[in-house]
Amino acid sequence: MNYTVTHRTAYRYRGRVALCHNEAMLMPRETAWQFVPECRIEIEPRPALSAERTDFFGNRVLYFAIQDIHQTLTVTVTSQVTVAPRPLTPDLPSPPWEEVVQLIREMPELNAMEARQFTLESTFIRPGDELANYALPSFTPGRPLLEAAFDLTRRIFAEFTYDPHFSTIATPLTQVLEERRGVCQDFAHLAIACLRSLGLAARYVSGYLETLPPPGAERLIGADASHAWLAVFIPGLGWVDLDPTNDCMPGERHVTLAWGRDYADVAPLKGVMMGGGAHKLDVSVDVAPQPR
Amino acid sequence: MSEAQAKAFPVGELLADYPLPTDGYDELLTPGGELRPAWSELLPALAAMGAEELTQRYDEAQRLLRENGVTFNAHEDSHGSQRAWTVDPIPLPIDGDEWAEIEAGLIQRSRLFERLLADLYGPRTVLRRGILPPELVHAHAGFLHAAWQSLPAGRRWLVFHGVTLARGADGRWLALADHAQAPSGAGYALENRITLARSMPTLYRDAPLRRLASFLETERVTLAKLPARPPDKPNVVLLTPGPGSQAYFEHAYLANYLSLSLVQGGDLVVRDGRVWLKTLGGLKAVDVILRRVTDAWCDPLELRGDSVLGVPGLLAAVRNGGVALANALGVAAVENPGLMPFLPALCRDLLGEELLLPSVASWWCGHALEREYVLANLGGLLVHQLGLEPRLIDGSRLGEEGRAALAARILARPTLYVAQQRIRPATAPVWDHGRLVAQPITLRAFTVAEDDGYRAMPGALAWVSQDGRNTGRGGIAKDVWVLAPAPQPHVSLLRQAHGPVVVTRDGDDLPSRVADNLFWLGRYGERYDARARLLREALTRLLEQGPEAEDNGCLPDLLVALDLELGEVEGGPRGRFLALRRVFLAEFDERDTDGLRDIFDGMLRNGRAVRDHLGDDSWRVLNRLRQSLAELPSPPSTMAGRKALEEHLTLLAAFFGLCNETMPHHYGWRFLDIGRFVERVLNTVALLELAFVKAHRPGVALWEVVLATTDNLTAYRRRYRSALHPAAILDLLLLDEDNPRSVGYQLRRLARQIQRLPKPPGSRYRSAEERLILQAQTTLALANIEALADSARDACEGRASEELAHLLAELHAPLFELSEAVMHGHFSHAETPRQLIEML
Repeated sequence: MNYTVTHRTAYRYRGRVALCHNEAMLMPRETAWQFVPECRIEIEPRPALSAERTDFFGNRVLYFAIQDIHQTLTVTVTSQVTVAPRPLTPDLPSPPWEEVVQLIREMPELNAMEARQFTLESTFIRPGDELANYALPSFTPGRPLLEAAFDLTRRIFAEFTYDPHFSTIATPLTQVLEERRGVCQDFAHLAIACLRSLGLAARYVSGYLETLPPPGAERLIGADASHAWLAVFIPGLGWVDLDPTNDCMPGERHVTLAWGRDYADVAPLKGVMMGGGAHKLDVSVDVAPQPR
Repeated sequence: MSEAQAKAFPVGELLADYPLPTDGYDELLTPGGELRPAWSELLPALAAMGAEELTQRYDEAQRLLRENGVTFNAHEDSHGSQRAWTVDPIPLPIDGDEWAEIEAGLIQRSRLFERLLADLYGPRTVLRRGILPPELVHAHAGFLHAAWQSLPAGRRWLVFHGVTLARGADGRWLALADHAQAPSGAGYALENRITLARSMPTLYRDAPLRRLASFLETERVTLAKLPARPPDKPNVVLLTPGPGSQAYFEHAYLANYLSLSLVQGGDLVVRDGRVWLKTLGGLKAVDVILRRVTDAWCDPLELRGDSVLGVPGLLAAVRNGGVALANALGVAAVENPGLMPFLPALCRDLLGEELLLPSVASWWCGHALEREYVLANLGGLLVHQLGLEPRLIDGSRLGEEGRAALAARILARPTLYVAQQRIRPATAPVWDHGRLVAQPITLRAFTVAEDDGYRAMPGALAWVSQDGRNTGRGGIAKDVWVLAPAPQPHVSLLRQAHGPVVVTRDGDDLPSRVADNLFWLGRYGERYDARARLLREALTRLLEQGPEAEDNGCLPDLLVALDLELGEVEGGPRGRFLALRRVFLAEFDERDTDGLRDIFDGMLRNGRAVRDHLGDDSWRVLNRLRQSLAELPSPPSTMAGRKALEEHLTLLAAFFGLCNETMPHHYGWRFLDIGRFVERVLNTVALLELAFVKAHRPGVALWEVVLATTDNLTAYRRRYRSALHPAAILDLLLLDEDNPRSVGYQLRRLARQIQRLPKPPGSRYRSAEERLILQAQTTLALANIEALADSARDACEGRASEELAHLLAELHAPLFELSEAVMHGHFSHAETPRQLIEML
């Protein structure tokens, strides 16, 4: 599929901001199945300085600083993205999950070594018994990893309520688990934490999902949103994406932005400012399919 | 010790109780009781001094340390809770040849870590080639993803490196820990050396030991050369977490010794991809930061978002090549205790050399064999838990259950655990009330980058520690002597000029924050003075009156002056007297907010923040004041309270006198002075208001208090030789511009200081503070003196003195605003940076 993704973030501050430093992770990375022929980023007011780099995980990061006094900040990113179908289905054969726990630790193969860092705790993810216990019904002895992981995300989809008013970035996973509600971010974090609690490697993926209008209705522009899911490392298959919020394996309709250990590694727009006071945030995302 | 041994080296009483080493290594004696060669000259020299002399020298050294404020304490305040650092008068001598081996090992270790850092934050070949397990690197919070590829190839990661060393039972030196983020201790080592050399001049003058100063000179040169394209006169600053930091003394000391500006995160700002220092004269570019803030706290944009110690955008500036950090961000990765078992292999791989300096035996539980060993020997090991909440667990302190729980945790997440052998460090003689005792010793050694390699400090900081761990706070420190073939010339950076000096006079490169602290140092100091004077009058009257007095004279007015309340009182005159005494003495109470101790804390806090701008003598006076307050019981007796106040007034006068005599009369001093006189003029106006406008009991008794409080009673009597007359008092305290206690004088002084403050370039109009002081001066100049005299007479006869009340109010208003105007116009409002999104 071809998409034009437009992501606009606007901050309006109550007070005046004298100086701000920001990092944007809003430019989609290229992958084996995703091609990004064009990506334009417009920042208002004009930054005095901006510099793009590739971070440790291979994501595109734009640093920029605004040094003139301002009261609004608008960042608009427009990307052309081509997403190819991925040849992965939940019923592909994979090794038993216990074997993978061993394999990851011992495989000298390069990508397994890279995967090992994704078995550890991170800012938002503290593996623990409680999480392992939640995962275990899916991880019966000898069950192939992909099947088990897919079952885990399916259970999260079935047992949890999508509730945009329940959680914030700071809501701890234990509370999400207890209340059985949250948003895509929470579900991705939860699945990752479950997998890591078992000794498996899992990472957090940020991106977008094309939303289809109800049959007969017009597509609403700007009504889409940022999305998040996860990927699990399976020897032989590599990193396999899973979307617990939509009970599916991401395919052509999932546009990947960036990945990392958890949300903290891939926050779309970070900033530190001097002054400003309270602010109002306005975000709009539009994932528009383009004719081929 | 046997008679024969005592004869072999006639050191008599010193060694009377010194034990023969049985199962460990001792620095002084061999197991056979022979003196080790390094001590062959030192011990007889010490013995020749004799126990009494040594005790005196010891006391002298402690006094010097105390007065210089050498402490490791985090929250030093007037409450006396600081833990002093004591220095042992017995140095630890290390033979020159033996040191050469240690030195080679230290230098190699620094080279190895530099290569390792460049690899971990670059191509990561040691992970790819399986020499180091990736999860070991990632399990340690010191590895910063944000620092990856932040330095171009060839730039230094590790400029300073500290290594904790101890000698094991077999006599070999072992590395116990590495310090790279903010390796403190070199300054303390230098201070210990200087202190001991001052208290035992003969011993130190003749000793063949290697001097430390050249090491610090190398630090200075290295820092100046650190930028990719070093400017002619690079601006190097020392970034400290601030006076709350345990090692703040060292930061101030090093900044002074190396002639660097001592700055805090809020003093710096990143603009245009560079780092700038906010000064009175505007922004001044910073080329190099000697960093004593630990990695994670340095940049709230990319690292810990809740840090207020760092500088937002610092990493971006580093990547941009706009600033060089010593050490670079991310170096904490080599503080990972789990690296130790891998160092021999890493050394062969990265340097092609065998590792010279062994580390303490360590096991990473990510490997099966090691894990089994650790699980079987938990009771004898120290276990480091890595990860986001690192901690150190002493296996020997755990019971059966605790060990089982730990074992379960290790099995669940083995990669997070590293175990270390517990060691009992070698013992060395330590001075203990007139004799030598054997105590276990740990060393902190230092290296600094130099050209292509490293150079080790020819000496170290040694301290007494039972298990070789770094307690890091207080305790007994020792000077380490690295022996040289012959006495070495004494050099100090403090007396050396570095190349041609650029003469600068008026420093508008003073950090704004420093100006702010000096201003408040002046205000708090003067506030203490004013309060102490009023309280002294109150205590004097309490002593005169006695508990049965029917009439408490002007004590109720003094209560008002001090802003105190008596509350309900029962029990007639006696009850009233006791209540008054209790309320006045409560001023010495620790819990009293706005009491004397609270005000002094404010003074000390601001003083500490500008430690590098105050002379050593002023600092000593401030320390004396702190000690005097700390030693005072709360509450003290009336007599003791008054005596202490007398002493404090003298010390304050000495402090500000020394500031006036020793601080260059530039911007810094001007702000101190403005702070003092803003406070003083406000207090004087308030006092006149009390005496002539608001008094419960106007009259001679109260006027006497006013004159005594302003130290003008003598002046008045000399001038008028008569009974107190209100018009004369008013003239003396309000109008007489030659009297430093008069409002007129204070306004003139403030006006002069304010005129000379830096102004924004091109400003054509009077600044807010200039307008305010002009307003106050004009009000006073236009006052109707005749009417004032009448007004004062009214006051004398108990009528309302409207004219005077009006004038004092007119004076108060602009002066009250003045403080705010000065702060607003000149100090960086260290506004806390805020996050766009709060993560946690």
